Amino acid sequence: MTAIPFLFVLVAEICSVVGQVFFKHAMGSGKGNMAWKLTAGIVAMAVNFFLWTGLLSKYDLSFLYPFDGLNRIVMMFAASIFLKEKMTLHLWVGVALICAGVLLVSRS
Amino acid sequence: MPAVVEPGGEVKWDAKPRKGWFFNAYTQLLLSILLSTAAQLCLKKGSTAIPEIWLGIEGLRSGWVWLGILAMVTSLFSWLYGLRFIPLNVAFNLAGLVQVLVPLGCWLLLGERIGPTRACGIVLVLAGVYTVARPLMRVEEKL
Repeated sequence: MTAIPFLFVLVAEICSVVGQVFFKHAMGSGKGNMAWKLTAGIVAMAVNFFLWTGLLSKYDLSFLYPFDGLNRIVMMFAASIFLKEKMTLHLWVGVALICAGVLLVSRS
Repeated sequence: MPAVVEPGGEVKWDAKPRKGWFFNAYTQLLLSILLSTAAQLCLKKGSTAIPEIWLGIEGLRSGWVWLGILAMVTSLFSWLYGLRFIPLNVAFNLAGLVQVLVPLGCWLLLGERIGPTRACGIVLVLAGVYTVARPLMRVEEKL
């Protein structure tokens, strides 16, 4: 996989995490905030969806789906940046496994 | 999906699930897993039916894509229902099955060829996903 499609995958996964977080926060917030958070969630999810469908038209699903594992890495980094969660050795092992897996798939 | 987890980290148990096998929480969770696998397969079928798409907006002309969207939404509802009665960690571990079912579906239903390199990669990703599942579950509640 070349750089551009990979960038698309990455943006799609980031959008998916952003969308999930917005949806979650929309549920717990008052009427004033709920509308824009819900809208932001829907926009993020729509971007994710269209990027993903576009990618699917070019690659095998069995090739593309493992990249969904990057979702977890995005979430981990988001947590360590915004929540100041520590990146434990345990988490780094997971990151390494997912990256190695994705690297292998991208060469197949 | 942390809807059932209170801010204090306590799980709020809803009333008992409705009677009948179909409303069993595990049936619904399994249904959710199968539906989200089906959604991916449908999207793939739909997006190959229409060539020359870069952003998937064109894909909306395909019935398969709409079927995929329907499966996705239904899967979400089944998932949320299942989560009301099943502990998060059990649910998340079961949901990891999708990473196995999608490639299986690709091979059996879409006729994609999964060579040894790709198969090894899929297994590694799966191992990684399971490795981070537990700490990530905790983080997801806070994010």
